[in-house]
Amino acid sequence: MDLKQKVESLSEIEATALKALDQEKFAKFEEISEKSGLPIDSVRRAIAWLAEKELAKISEEREEVILLSAIGKSSLRKALPERLFVEAVQNLGGKGSLDEVYKKSQLNRPEFNVAMGLAKRNAWISIVPGKETMIELTGLEKEFLEGKYPLEIALKKIRDKEKVEGEEGLAKALKRGLAEKETVVEKKARLSETGKLAIEMLGNVKKRAYNIQGAVPKIFIGKKHAYVQFLDHARAKLLEQGFKEMESPLITQEFYNFDALFQPQGHPARQWTDTYQLKQPKTGRLPDKKIVERVKAAHETGWTTGSKGWGYKWKEEIARKVMPTAHGTAHSARQLAKGIESPGKYFSIARCYRPDVVDSSHLIEFNQMEGIIIGKDFSFRHLLGMLKDFATEFGQTKEVKFLPDYYPFTEPSVQLSVKHPKLGWIELGGAGIFRPELTEPLGVKEPVLAWGIGIDRLAMCALNIKDIRQLFSTDLAWLRKTKQVIWNA
Amino acid sequence: MPNIEASKKDLEKLIGKKLDIKQLEDAVEYAKGEIELVEGDRIVIDEKDTNRPDLLSAEGIAREIRGRLTRERGIPKYKVRKSSASVIVDKSVSKIRPCIAAAVVKKVKINENVLVQLINSQEKVCGTFGRKRKEAAIGIYDWSKLKQPMHYKAYKPRGKKFIPLEYKVEMNLEEILLEHPKGKEYKHLLEGFSKFPIFEDNKGVVASMPPIINSDLTGKVSPSTKEVLVEVTGYNQETVNIALNVMVSALAERGFEIYSVKIKYPNKTIVTPNFTPGKITVKIDEIKRISGLALNTKQIVELLRQARYDVKVKGKKLLCEYPAYRPDILHPVDVVEDAIISYGFNKIEPKPIKISTKGSELKAKKFKKAFENVCVGLGLQGVLTFTMTSKAKQTEMIGFDPEKEQLIEIENPVSEKYTVFRKKLYPELLEFLGKNKHASFPQKIFEIGKSLELDPKAETGVIEKNKLCIVFSGKRAEFTVAKGVLDAIADSLGLKYALKENKSPKAFEGGKSADVLIAGKKGFLGELSKETMQNFGLEQKTAVLEIEI
Repeated sequence: MDLKQKVESLSEIEATALKALDQEKFAKFEEISEKSGLPIDSVRRAIAWLAEKELAKISEEREEVILLSAIGKSSLRKALPERLFVEAVQNLGGKGSLDEVYKKSQLNRPEFNVAMGLAKRNAWISIVPGKETMIELTGLEKEFLEGKYPLEIALKKIRDKEKVEGEEGLAKALKRGLAEKETVVEKKARLSETGKLAIEMLGNVKKRAYNIQGAVPKIFIGKKHAYVQFLDHARAKLLEQGFKEMESPLITQEFYNFDALFQPQGHPARQWTDTYQLKQPKTGRLPDKKIVERVKAAHETGWTTGSKGWGYKWKEEIARKVMPTAHGTAHSARQLAKGIESPGKYFSIARCYRPDVVDSSHLIEFNQMEGIIIGKDFSFRHLLGMLKDFATEFGQTKEVKFLPDYYPFTEPSVQLSVKHPKLGWIELGGAGIFRPELTEPLGVKEPVLAWGIGIDRLAMCALNIKDIRQLFSTDLAWLRKTKQVIWNA
Repeated sequence: MPNIEASKKDLEKLIGKKLDIKQLEDAVEYAKGEIELVEGDRIVIDEKDTNRPDLLSAEGIAREIRGRLTRERGIPKYKVRKSSASVIVDKSVSKIRPCIAAAVVKKVKINENVLVQLINSQEKVCGTFGRKRKEAAIGIYDWSKLKQPMHYKAYKPRGKKFIPLEYKVEMNLEEILLEHPKGKEYKHLLEGFSKFPIFEDNKGVVASMPPIINSDLTGKVSPSTKEVLVEVTGYNQETVNIALNVMVSALAERGFEIYSVKIKYPNKTIVTPNFTPGKITVKIDEIKRISGLALNTKQIVELLRQARYDVKVKGKKLLCEYPAYRPDILHPVDVVEDAIISYGFNKIEPKPIKISTKGSELKAKKFKKAFENVCVGLGLQGVLTFTMTSKAKQTEMIGFDPEKEQLIEIENPVSEKYTVFRKKLYPELLEFLGKNKHASFPQKIFEIGKSLELDPKAETGVIEKNKLCIVFSGKRAEFTVAKGVLDAIADSLGLKYALKENKSPKAFEGGKSADVLIAGKKGFLGELSKETMQNFGLEQKTAVLEIEI
């Protein structure tokens, strides 16, 4: 299309926007809107079209800005929990029992615990143990109360849009989720060289009736979230292979998450640093008494499984505790206890939880794809055969390597490494044969092959993303741009 | 999983063979290790088996590999020489931390490699097998600085003073627990006691305060140390014996000499270290059945001897003995795995699984799909948010009282952003919109996901509901839009619904919200109030529909 044709094809809105553009300087869309009298959405569309016709130039400046999060805003309005905490102690005359301070502070429990931890770390208070734990101000809180608390200073600056880089409290604010980094894209536009010529021609050119090459408004179609599409494909693959889907509750009894899996109760993996625990509710119900008795015996003496057991006193009240599910294997244990068909194949794609610091490769909430296959004569060779199948379907390759591995609930255990066409050699998953101390107490006599596939990693590859947080992206523009996910494309 | 630091040269020396990196990579697989990093002579091995304290040092990994790569077979034999050394255990520790095991190692040559392995494996054995020092806390001392016999005895909080490791000043036991970093970290292990354990020599010179800290004077080894005392305390004699065996056998791997120590309990005397092998009987058929390999007895015995077992054949059974540094063998399956590892995982021909089963998905997923289809047809963009969230978002930001609203709460949150489970989906979607003010309008999003509520009658005390939430934001996102969408959904799925006036609008504009009853399930819809919009930083009108599906 030559320039004349281009000018002829301009719509009323395009022409108005074109005239409002500056020859030299990039102007913000808001400025162009004001100058042209066009609504901002029309300006946005018109400029995109003008740019496509090379009549306008667009510059995109990405700027990282720091904003208060929703919690940041509300805590700043109400005061931070640690301030409410210290003020509560002050109002009690500088000293009070744990309970008194709790009531006075009007904080809820998690906030209160966080606030007390912070106050202690900052040495504003000392905790005096005794019959009743007492909390006492140390005198060091004065500066804090006078407003010299770096975190608050940083938060106020963020709120007032002042420069906050280099502020001492900034890192804290980000870490606690009170503030967030966001990338803001500022678009600006100016005339291009051809655009200048086009303006001169505008007056002399006759309008053409219709232009089939003209740009059209962008339509955003309805669609499932790309990650959900991917997970649904994976689910469909497993259904095709004859797997039955298992119930996968978000909250489970520790019994299924640990005890039924033969994880001893004193194991470090069961501590609060490794798994989330609940403040409320605290406990749930255990299955059939017979099963509970056998699991207890398996832990203590090995029961009749031929095992030595762990040799400690197993406690029912620990098994009864409820927690956010830490791994999908908990659902396999639940299924085994409920009863399964043999031969049979079962799977779950489950949301799991782990206390961790969120970064580009860790989430505290993520999905695990796991399952079991049960059959009379299954051996380690079948386990490898099953993994080879998974390598073809999920790793898109026949090149595999099996490595000795360790999982507390399987023996033998194996890691599956595959040469993925895009990612190279990766750890695709893990598998093993459930220990007899696990299966027999649940009433299962036949070998159970258990497997798990690192589904999030494969999803990241299919969605072409590097940062795991993007699986739960909050960027609407990006989500609208994502393509339909086609399996193994 | 623990990372083991090692020098490649040192490792080769311990294995007794020169290996290139590829060969070394294959070799460490026998010890369930993976090479994470190679940097000149320095290598880092990721040890995957957290149940094998004996594999937490270069010496231990090399010992495991030697059985497979060299001619060495069977249980490694360590000579324990008799000595007059003893530890007198006072009855005062019997309720606090009753068990102890100790050994003296002489003719030690401590170079940097030895020191790195010794210190790292001490820490890692205590951390994993020792359950963060609870079940096993290890102390290593310069034997020449101690006057035997040693005493293990409890003292009052101010009854003893010493300079803790890497400190300059003397502190009493109470001060150590309250002020020393290690005291603070591990004081919970001594909680509730009025006396604390002390390990000291015959002159009352403190060696350590188990399981907290060593003394700076005697509890340190350096290249000039010629003789060391290794001591382990805990609650179970078998556990502390194994930890001691792990530490001492690693030193013996370097040719140092082990000497026994008498442990004199008030009612009995035992001698440590005790290298009596563990015993387990395994059926030959079981090995064949689990592995799926056609092996004869001779081959199986050879595979196990490579895995450092001593084996006697008795009819159809194998009487297996395993090294006294292994706590992980509970069941014959553990022995089977060791045989398969010796055989080599990648030499095994996989066997296809040929069973015929019918796949099926959960009923909830079928409903989810139907609703999803309707949402896509309505032109909505699917979003995905977290089920864990903040209490503020689920309560005060949508007009609910945080004190009265019952939510599933996390006891140990990492961040204030995630302290409760969501009861409603829409606050999460509103937050999403608040982050997208620059994307073009109208914005139409949906999510189908779980929400959690307390329910004492439920098996876990929690009822998990599947919900659909739709949020519209834009110039015309009013009550009628939300109702129109509900109407379209109901129509498309052939469901009946009814609306009831919402008397307590909370997050919504007065008079412009309603409770929904659709096919027996509850929900609500409405147009957001100005205040709620402000709370989430929304600038355009917003309409919400949330129903259980």
